[in-house]
Amino acid sequence: MHFKGFSHSNMSDVIPRIDFKEIELSNGLKVIMSRVSEIPMVALNTTFKVGSKDEEEDKTGLAHFIEHLMFEGSKFLKSGEFDEILNRNGGESNAYTTWDSTSYYIVIPSNKLETALWLDSNRFFDISLTEKSFVKQKDVIFEEKLQVYDNTPYGSLEVESSRRLFSKSGYKSPIIGDMEHIKNMRLEDVFAFFKKYYIPNNAVLSIVGDIDYYETEKLVRKYYDDINRGEEIFSKEYFDDDIEEEITDDIFDNIHLTGKFLFYKLPMPGSKAYYAIQILNGILSNGDSSRFYKELVYRKELVNDIESYLYDMEKVSLFSISSIALEGRSIFEIEIEIDNIIEEIKSGNIHDYEVQKIKNKIEAGFNTRKLSIISLAERFSHIKTFYDDCEKINNEILNYLNITKEDIVNAANMHLNKNQRVNLNYFPINENWN
Amino acid sequence: MAKSEDITQKLDRTKPPKIGKPKDVKFPKYHESVTKNGITVLVVQDKRVPLVTCRLVFKSGSSYDSFSGNDKSGLASLTAELLTKGTSSMNASEIAEEVDYHGAVLTSGCDYDASYISSYSLKKHFDRIFHITSDVVLNSIFAEEEIQREKKQRINSLLSYLDEGDYLAGKTFNKKVYKDTPYSNPVEGIESSINNLKRDDFRNFHKTHYVPNNLIIAFVGDIEIKEAEEFVQNNFSDWKPKKIEELNMSHVAMDDETTVHVIEKKGAVQSDIHLGHLGISRSNPDFISVLVMNTLLGGHFTSRINKNLREVHGYTYGARSIFNWRKLNGDFSVETDVKNENTLNAVIEIIKELKKIKQEKVLEDELSDVKSYISGNFPLRLETPNAIASRVINLKLYDIESDYYDKYVSKVNALSVEDIHSAADKYLHPDKLIVSIAGNTKEIKDSLKQLGSVEVIKKVE
Repeated sequence: MHFKGFSHSNMSDVIPRIDFKEIELSNGLKVIMSRVSEIPMVALNTTFKVGSKDEEEDKTGLAHFIEHLMFEGSKFLKSGEFDEILNRNGGESNAYTTWDSTSYYIVIPSNKLETALWLDSNRFFDISLTEKSFVKQKDVIFEEKLQVYDNTPYGSLEVESSRRLFSKSGYKSPIIGDMEHIKNMRLEDVFAFFKKYYIPNNAVLSIVGDIDYYETEKLVRKYYDDINRGEEIFSKEYFDDDIEEEITDDIFDNIHLTGKFLFYKLPMPGSKAYYAIQILNGILSNGDSSRFYKELVYRKELVNDIESYLYDMEKVSLFSISSIALEGRSIFEIEIEIDNIIEEIKSGNIHDYEVQKIKNKIEAGFNTRKLSIISLAERFSHIKTFYDDCEKINNEILNYLNITKEDIVNAANMHLNKNQRVNLNYFPINENWN
Repeated sequence: MAKSEDITQKLDRTKPPKIGKPKDVKFPKYHESVTKNGITVLVVQDKRVPLVTCRLVFKSGSSYDSFSGNDKSGLASLTAELLTKGTSSMNASEIAEEVDYHGAVLTSGCDYDASYISSYSLKKHFDRIFHITSDVVLNSIFAEEEIQREKKQRINSLLSYLDEGDYLAGKTFNKKVYKDTPYSNPVEGIESSINNLKRDDFRNFHKTHYVPNNLIIAFVGDIEIKEAEEFVQNNFSDWKPKKIEELNMSHVAMDDETTVHVIEKKGAVQSDIHLGHLGISRSNPDFISVLVMNTLLGGHFTSRINKNLREVHGYTYGARSIFNWRKLNGDFSVETDVKNENTLNAVIEIIKELKKIKQEKVLEDELSDVKSYISGNFPLRLETPNAIASRVINLKLYDIESDYYDKYVSKVNALSVEDIHSAADKYLHPDKLIVSIAGNTKEIKDSLKQLGSVEVIKKVE
């Protein structure tokens, strides 16, 4: 046993336990129910294990495209009715696509849970799509691309970093897809992709909020039992090259302040190195007492903003450091400063209290999770989809608390080396930077 | 046996299911008291998690900036930010270190009408965190070194905002709507005004406005009423009240006709559109009917404006309308992003929607859908202690009747199509719009002339 010595009862002394119940339907749909809230609302999150990395190389953008279409109607609903019915019942919905999954959520007053289950379960049946609304949705996606990627300062970062970090796997393409592929996308492509991945045996449904387990299970069976199991999906073997030599590039954008962005590929989420780097991430950039803030913002006054983040992907995790320089400060100076701080960590110079500080923050965070039913439902779907272990909702904190100073030093030495990273400089267009 | 019956009954998926009985939603009870030196103390007990949130609000925001002299905008906002950068007993780093170590959060800032300091922490550390919170409020020293650093950071942030079309369009819109009243000045300031600010400005603003009789404190979370009152007593009882000069806002007139203001944004591939005019203040008696009318018009995903621009025309990823209310005035704006060649058409569609809701009564069904949306969604707006704290504070800050939230849902449901029509008729003026657009001026400006006179703005300060 990995977590020997920590029974649930003494865990609950630290963090209030989150209760849940799991079932699996005969068609393979995994369902998690969790009664947590005292507000009379309920959140549903349906996650399909399909994201942009699962797309064919010459047909990118399908996962995200289908995310948009899911609101367009189905065999049972006319276009637009999904949200109209939901809104008129006091509910709201949204969805998001990542490299590895597509999630849909609904939040609704708890007396209308059945309406939400009806709407959500209808998703599994054919999408109905006319040529006209197909073209309209392409337009909306082109606008999304313009707004989020092209017209946003540093907005090309996801595209620019992914294509340098990855060369073989589906992670190399942007989640939204290549606009040329979207222009050429045919209705048949959409239907085929939908049929392959939007099946109950590739999905997790989490229901969190003001619910009764017995009643909820009855309703779930009523609406989801008759969905046909789909053909088993054999996912492509993941393979990509390691970075062995630093990849550096300059990018020019419509910006006023220069930016320095560093990316390191790390082992997959759930690994020891992952948790160690999560703690390190806090030490580096969480709060005004973090190392990056203290050195680069406060003491040396080099940057207007600096943050770091550890992204969860299914097969790898990605550690990024983003900094925006103060006017007149050189990004090369910034790079030296960031490297000095990372080298300090690698040489073992971490204080116990710094590690404890981040653990305290993590403890506070775990304590407040109950306050958002939407994010709790999302978390349940995520851990079930990628770890097949719902108990993680209560015991994952131990993965963090068990991390030692040595674990952090080891992980940093192993993964945060210059030769393993992508190093991007953003410069204003039309201006000399040297 | 019962189970096999269920299975044989084929489910009709074309029909929405019947819905259960709604549960009563009550706004959490709050306890209110006023200290001898004039602090309003509000306590909401919420023991769902072992956390205490505390929000201190001073009823003076950036609208007071101009009281300290011309071109001082950004003063209230930087004063708030500097609070946590050092007191007579702790320097900036020590404050940051203690707050972070306790897994707590301490933030400060301001808007047009108020300045705030917020903190939250686990119950077990709250005593310490509240002590730090009160220390920064009472004993901030505004050290010269910290002022210089914050000014430099602010000026750089302002530079980076210039890359955002939404910021440029919003800022210009604000300037044109509120004309020469304090609400037209940006909370965050402009480069020249930030450069103008001196240590004495901060110290004076602090001395004048951070006084107990100008303060509302809300505690929300795992805390007893008595405990909260003792925290206030122990930390704030020696603090002397002081009279504050009342803010009078001169009347702003709406323009007679629509004008267009196009702001050059280098390399823009989309137009960021903000259009609208003056709106209503928070105390307006028609507040709720305006809110419901706007929700139907452009306040949620299936609203008329979003449906038209996104679903029918595919012009945008999203569009919305909003009545921004402030204490002494307010504005109405419709906001969206569209590609260059759709700019004029998008504005025309928006104007059509404004005219339509002004001229024609909305459908009964449409109204009842919006009512259910608003009342059904209401509990979600009360999910976090922080959200509850802001709402309780707003009651006091904007002098709203104390049973406002209790009656909110029933007042929404009592509105008729006539009420909505008169709200639209009274408060929407599609022929007196300020149309502010940040984008590629060369490509869009000519087509916009048919809307009204076009001003091209090369540089926004």
